[in-house]
Amino acid sequence: MTGRDPDRPERPLSDLRARIARLRARDAEAKVGRSGRADISGSGVVLRVGIELVGTLAVGVAIGWGLDRWLLVVFFFLGAAAGVLNVYRAVSPIGLAPGYRPDGDADRDAGGEGPGGGTDEKR
Amino acid sequence: MASPLQQFEIKTIASAHVGGVNISFTNSSLFMLIAITAITAFLVIGVRKRAMVPGRLQSLAELSYEFIAGLVRDNVGHAGRAYFPFIFTLFMFILFCNTIGLIPYTFTVTSHIIVTFALAAVVFIGVTIIGIARHRMKWFSYFFPPGAPLYMAPLLVPIEVLSYLARPVTLSLRLFANMMAGHTMLKVFAGFVIALGLFGVAPLVILIALYMLELIVAVLQAFVFTILTCLYLHDALHLH
Repeated sequence: MTGRDPDRPERPLSDLRARIARLRARDAEAKVGRSGRADISGSGVVLRVGIELVGTLAVGVAIGWGLDRWLLVVFFFLGAAAGVLNVYRAVSPIGLAPGYRPDGDADRDAGGEGPGGGTDEKR
Repeated sequence: MASPLQQFEIKTIASAHVGGVNISFTNSSLFMLIAITAITAFLVIGVRKRAMVPGRLQSLAELSYEFIAGLVRDNVGHAGRAYFPFIFTLFMFILFCNTIGLIPYTFTVTSHIIVTFALAAVVFIGVTIIGIARHRMKWFSYFFPPGAPLYMAPLLVPIEVLSYLARPVTLSLRLFANMMAGHTMLKVFAGFVIALGLFGVAPLVILIALYMLELIVAVLQAFVFTILTCLYLHDALHLH
């Protein structure tokens, strides 16, 4: 817009509508891939890992405490497992969604077991 | 020497109790109000001229808009555009609260876990409602990883549910812990500067470096909170 770009000198405003349409189209077809996500793992990894681990464990223990004394034991281990899972997700490039492989490999690669498991849960 | 934790004290400015609930106007509320006023002034004054060739302030305002717009586009996709106003507001609020808190004699709103937890809870509840409203019962398949054998469900589903429930806790803890730790550290080193007298130059140098680091942390944590909100929203809209 400032006209300082040497590749694109002052462009007439007449084709503004076409340019907006082109940008809109690019926006619409832009694929959201997990690979395209910004990398946030570089900063403060240690603090982040600690918070994920302890925070998730605390949630598990709190739920177990609220439910029953016996379930506290169960939820302690479930919370620990979920904490490790959250840490794994925080540091791996896969992202935060459940699933253990990147978006690129479709569920079909898993030999038909994936879609079956998915449909059963839908009911 | 004053306690390094004194800066986090909540002071009541105007006391008010309604039905046993304390809704007093405190220094925390004051600095939230200052942040909101600053954001509004920054954006309204910034784009007031609507210049074809933007000035400094207009460039900044447009830059922050386009930054978040790009973030939402890349991380949530086309469907996320409806939620842009919320995400932009969230980012600007946290960014301004964090950075205003770095000015001496101010109060850092985000150094209190109740504030960050309230923000994270709004995100968590909102994202859950959006997910259920969009996918109905199919949303619950979110808690079963695709491709896993079905007999693992009794173990995997509770773990996934816990992992999901921990989101608001970790989201709020991260912002709160970073702000609180940073500000405490700044105050401790500032105390050293006074206590050491002439030799206080050494901690002063460290203090300046730390202040720079805290400035980065303040911006970065606002960014991290926002991008995690975007990722949660992405998962709610697209499931797996």
